[in-house]
Amino acid sequence: MSLSPKIIELRKILAERYPQQTTHSLCTPTGWSPLDSLLGGGLPKGAITQLLIPNISSGGAIVLHEIIEAMHDASQYVALIDGKDCFEPVADHPLLLWIRCNNTVQALKATDLILRDGNLPLTILDFKQNSDRELRKIPGPTWYRFQRITEENKTSLLTITRHPIVSSAHLTISMTHQLYIDDLSSQRREIIKFVSLEIVRLRTQLEYRYA
Amino acid sequence: MLKIETHCFAVIYIPFYSLQCAQQKCALQSCSPNSMSSNQLSLDVIETAVYGTAHQNIIDDTSFDIPAALLASDGLHVIELNPAAERAGIHPGVSTSQAIARASDLVLYPRTLSNEQHLQNTLLQLVYRYSPFIENSAPGICTLDLKGKRTRKHQLWLRELLAQLRSVGLKAQAGIGPNPEIALQAAKIADPILEILQDSHLLQSLPLESLAPSLFLLDIMKSWGVRNLGALTRLPREEIGQRLGLEGLSLWDRAAGRSTNVLQLVQPPETFEESIDFEQRLETLEPLLFILRRFLETLSLRIESVYLLIAELHLTLILENGEKIVRILQIPAPTRDVDTLFGIAAQYLETLQTPAPVTSFHLEVIPSRPSGHQFDLFQGGLKDPNRFFQTLARLAALVGNERVGIPQKIDTHRPDSLRMLMPEFDWSRSRIKKKRHPKTGPGLRRYRPGVVADVQLNAEGKPTLIQSSVISGKILEARGPWKLSGNWWDLTRWEAKEWDIALDDRGLYRIAQRTTSANERRRTSANEGADNDRSHSLTFQDQWEVVGVYD
Repeated sequence: MSLSPKIIELRKILAERYPQQTTHSLCTPTGWSPLDSLLGGGLPKGAITQLLIPNISSGGAIVLHEIIEAMHDASQYVALIDGKDCFEPVADHPLLLWIRCNNTVQALKATDLILRDGNLPLTILDFKQNSDRELRKIPGPTWYRFQRITEENKTSLLTITRHPIVSSAHLTISMTHQLYIDDLSSQRREIIKFVSLEIVRLRTQLEYRYA
Repeated sequence: MLKIETHCFAVIYIPFYSLQCAQQKCALQSCSPNSMSSNQLSLDVIETAVYGTAHQNIIDDTSFDIPAALLASDGLHVIELNPAAERAGIHPGVSTSQAIARASDLVLYPRTLSNEQHLQNTLLQLVYRYSPFIENSAPGICTLDLKGKRTRKHQLWLRELLAQLRSVGLKAQAGIGPNPEIALQAAKIADPILEILQDSHLLQSLPLESLAPSLFLLDIMKSWGVRNLGALTRLPREEIGQRLGLEGLSLWDRAAGRSTNVLQLVQPPETFEESIDFEQRLETLEPLLFILRRFLETLSLRIESVYLLIAELHLTLILENGEKIVRILQIPAPTRDVDTLFGIAAQYLETLQTPAPVTSFHLEVIPSRPSGHQFDLFQGGLKDPNRFFQTLARLAALVGNERVGIPQKIDTHRPDSLRMLMPEFDWSRSRIKKKRHPKTGPGLRRYRPGVVADVQLNAEGKPTLIQSSVISGKILEARGPWKLSGNWWDLTRWEAKEWDIALDDRGLYRIAQRTTSANERRRTSANEGADNDRSHSLTFQDQWEVVGVYD
């Protein structure tokens, strides 16, 4: 059945007026423009995105704050599952659900609950401060289970780790930057200009299906 | 163009009402899994309770084939019977022993006045959905004035109403007639619905007794050979008036379907509650969940009849030792969905540990109107706030109540002073305050609690070397100190000198030299779950610690 010309016209008007919103059906815009432009609109819906931040003091927390604030500006809830209870809120975020876990086991259980709930469009699982020893103990099937849940609920899961551990991630992005002590008194927007992002792995749909 | 309908009445009649109320209560108690001996049967019932796979009726048709009688409060004689007991030769007023002698399989029930009142209220609430003009005519009888009702397909809504009553545990009959008396007579002989029209043959064939005339009038009529309503209405009305006066005229009018009685209209009570006293004390959760689901089904039905939603659940458990546990559960998004309500209440009950078995359970629901939301075109709210509420409860059980929620800074200079708030479920964009804060410097990842460190200072008092369990090495650059202090007026005084340092591992860290009183240390360590400091002396101690890493 062909669409009514009025509907097509209305879609065009909406796409022109709200260019970011029209990509909503495929991805969850984070609001942080470097990441969104790299990913073509935002984090893919129904998939896991892995953000690798291998170095100490490389601006990972800045990215986290940018995403949370951007989601707040877009009036969207976001869940932050803090694997080591290390997040430091800089402002009141009425739409941030912060789950302060002590270890990876708690964090994975909390992630499972949040993903199954399916109410929140974006879940961030922050394992940056968890030890490699802890992370190595995470069973591989856990990530595939999370992938299936996100796929079913059409939500996005962003994991932040130092090394690649999420075997079922649709996208793996690496972030490299080095903070210096002078940056402590700089504006955040000045610092973030120098953060470089790179897609290190993008799984094809076929590869993703057979995973 | 609207068609003008004939004014008519409906009566909902519950035969042997007191007996049915007693049977309903006993059925509810006996169908709880606690009273079952077979494990398999219990599991089936639990499955039904928990997953709601089948909507069970408390009563079934076979229960009416078994002779049953209601005992008077003294327990010595029978006051009400079902048709099966009447067929067995029992009649009201016989002694208990005589009744048992006439029907060995007779089931005797004690009278439950409170349950009768409760079910009468339920009847009124359910009936009110179909007409605002209702009369509480008698126990088990409710009359509806159907004026203004546009449909003539009364069978449809009456069947729906009778099905609702059946799910509550009451088998009812319905009659429709041109006046309340005839509607009542129709209800009494209905199976289960009977409509008597103004000019119908059935109306004319009804006996005179159906209008309950006085004995004097009845005798005169019988002496004239008038035995049914048809015979009466064939007589001229004026002649009846001249001979029998106003009473005769009234009888004629009622026989002709001209209503003269005015209904005493009532409003159904606005309390929605169910309660049960268990014959056997409950020691496990499953029977309670079974009863809970049953109650929620009934209450949801009652709430639906007044077009409202359930906003709160008030659960009351009375224990064997007399203790009373009361819990109010707020429903984030008011609903009538039994599965959702059951999930919320069951989640609480699953975590509840009682010191003694449960002997009584009471559930009250607070109704509310649907909350109005007007989202804008691209605004994303919570898809299912009730499910989110349950998820939050599970998260709180996993990590602790104080470790899940929305962070809010406490109005103090003390670092890392936060409180966790429950998310607002009636969320809308207008309520979200968008505050702009200066975005200076990188974010900090805190070590909670701070990691104790040994710090070496140079002659100027600047840190030059640090050693701790998380970081160690030479400090390349240090900025500070940033002095913070508070609570100097009491024993919880605290003071900190914070430094930002760059280590030779290329990491940027915040370290602090804290001065705290013994009391404050004790409070902090208690918060952090460490062993309490037993010292009560007013002493102050300096301690270096790694606060966090800049990232």
